[in-house]
Amino acid sequence: MDNVYILGIESSCDETSVSIVKNGCEEIATVVLSQMNTHSTYGGVVPEIASRMHVENITIVIEECLKKANMKMEQIDAIAVTYGPGLIGSLLVGVSAATTLSYIYNKPLVPVHHIAGHIYANNLVSKMEFPLIALVVSGGHTDLIYMEDDYKFKKIGGTLDDAVGECYDKVARIIDVPYPGGPLVDKLSYEGKDTYQLPLPLDDNTYNFSFSGIKSAVINLVHNEIQRGNEIRKADIACSFQKRVVDILTKKTMKALKEYNVKNLIIAGGVSANSGIRNKFSELCKNGGIKLTIPHIKYCTDNAAMIACAGYFAYKKGLRAGLDLKAQANTSLF
Amino acid sequence: MKYLLIDTTTSNVTVAIIENNKILFNYQNTIISDMSSKILPIIEAGFNSVNFNLRDIDKIFVVNGPGSFTGIRVGVTIAKTIASALNKNIITLSSLEYMATTFTDKKYLVPIIDARRGNVFAGIYDNNLKLIEKDSLISLNELMKKIDSNYELISYDNINNSIKPKVDILKIILKHENDKSINPHKVNPNYLKLTEAEERLKLKENI
Repeated sequence: MDNVYILGIESSCDETSVSIVKNGCEEIATVVLSQMNTHSTYGGVVPEIASRMHVENITIVIEECLKKANMKMEQIDAIAVTYGPGLIGSLLVGVSAATTLSYIYNKPLVPVHHIAGHIYANNLVSKMEFPLIALVVSGGHTDLIYMEDDYKFKKIGGTLDDAVGECYDKVARIIDVPYPGGPLVDKLSYEGKDTYQLPLPLDDNTYNFSFSGIKSAVINLVHNEIQRGNEIRKADIACSFQKRVVDILTKKTMKALKEYNVKNLIIAGGVSANSGIRNKFSELCKNGGIKLTIPHIKYCTDNAAMIACAGYFAYKKGLRAGLDLKAQANTSLF
Repeated sequence: MKYLLIDTTTSNVTVAIIENNKILFNYQNTIISDMSSKILPIIEAGFNSVNFNLRDIDKIFVVNGPGSFTGIRVGVTIAKTIASALNKNIITLSSLEYMATTFTDKKYLVPIIDARRGNVFAGIYDNNLKLIEKDSLISLNELMKKIDSNYELISYDNINNSIKPKVDILKIILKHENDKSINPHKVNPNYLKLTEAEERLKLKENI
């Protein structure tokens, strides 16, 4: 079989990224231009600034990626692009560039859902084996997904309110940890002890999650401690919070693996960079005979390699978009 | 010489293909919704209707603002992607100057785009497209102080008895076809306005 080269473009939030992946598993070249330093000035991603920076950088990143891969567009089999979900202004830049390239070079255009991308980042680590359970944890998502085969996504549970990454960022703000809050709370948790009584979020029989309760609990806790004139032990709060979040994520995920009789677990999304989550799942899967795959840290955050990867399987499945591909801020994978 | 012109800075979109000062394809329409997904199909239809293709183009003219931030980005992204991929010359045009190609018997033309909260993007040109006062973001009241009967207000937004633009593609191209081409990577929107977050930060820093 001939090799298939997919050029992926990702611009859904604050990273402009282009990547070329061979056969959905071998990364040829990836360029990621992160805007994090700019947005950190504002304490979070400013959508209009993100859009502006994408326009400034998109063609540079495309050209750099081709140069790095030592390839020409003519050698590419298809162009994959994140069409959603994400910041609409940001998505539009990637979609416009991808559509234009598809037109210029007469290459198939493959629409990729951002979450499918996060899941397929794992295929860069090791060939995904089915059936599998995917736990997607990011700033916008907390989903448990059952995959019987390539590009077949069945949601078995998800967050009813805040996404886990969103909750991390909010807790960071409450205990005054600077942007980017999530990773810093993770780091801080190792300097503390699990001394605070925080509830285990939505500990029921479903596969759903809820993080607004624990967020409120942290708010109330900090508020009460201030009222009482007690010292806020940030590291202890971070530790207690992280422990509860990791406990519920692992509890429900391990239960799903058992009930669906699945031996493969993959973790995806920005929050899969969280060391608490990585460590606990590694331990549990090792003991339970489960094959665990977590993307390399550099593929946990937004990047185009994962889009090119997912794009390969979408391409094989015959998914195509026309020149009228629309960017969509909200769109479901299921 | 073969040219492609793209203007998506307002909902009044232009896509035109020009050869030797003749307009071969001229799409001028109001696109209210999903504009971004409609431009490439229009460009494709354009090249399907002429006997050469995008690769044969000598120069791309892209209107890069001011106007709708999202609209500007769509046109600029498409134009700079084409120019950088196919190594084409690219020239940016002002949306206001483009509107000022409208014919009038008055001495001066004042193209205006609504910028909300009582502000407008506006410039002043004479009827040979000579720049009298450069494009800027200005309060409408401030602008009106400069206006007398010698001035024609031109706007898609019906501002103070303005007339509707009737753009003259060849007029603006003739003026700019010998402009120096820009490195496609450096072709960027001309928003004429900082983002709100940047404005707030600037305000804070100045206190």
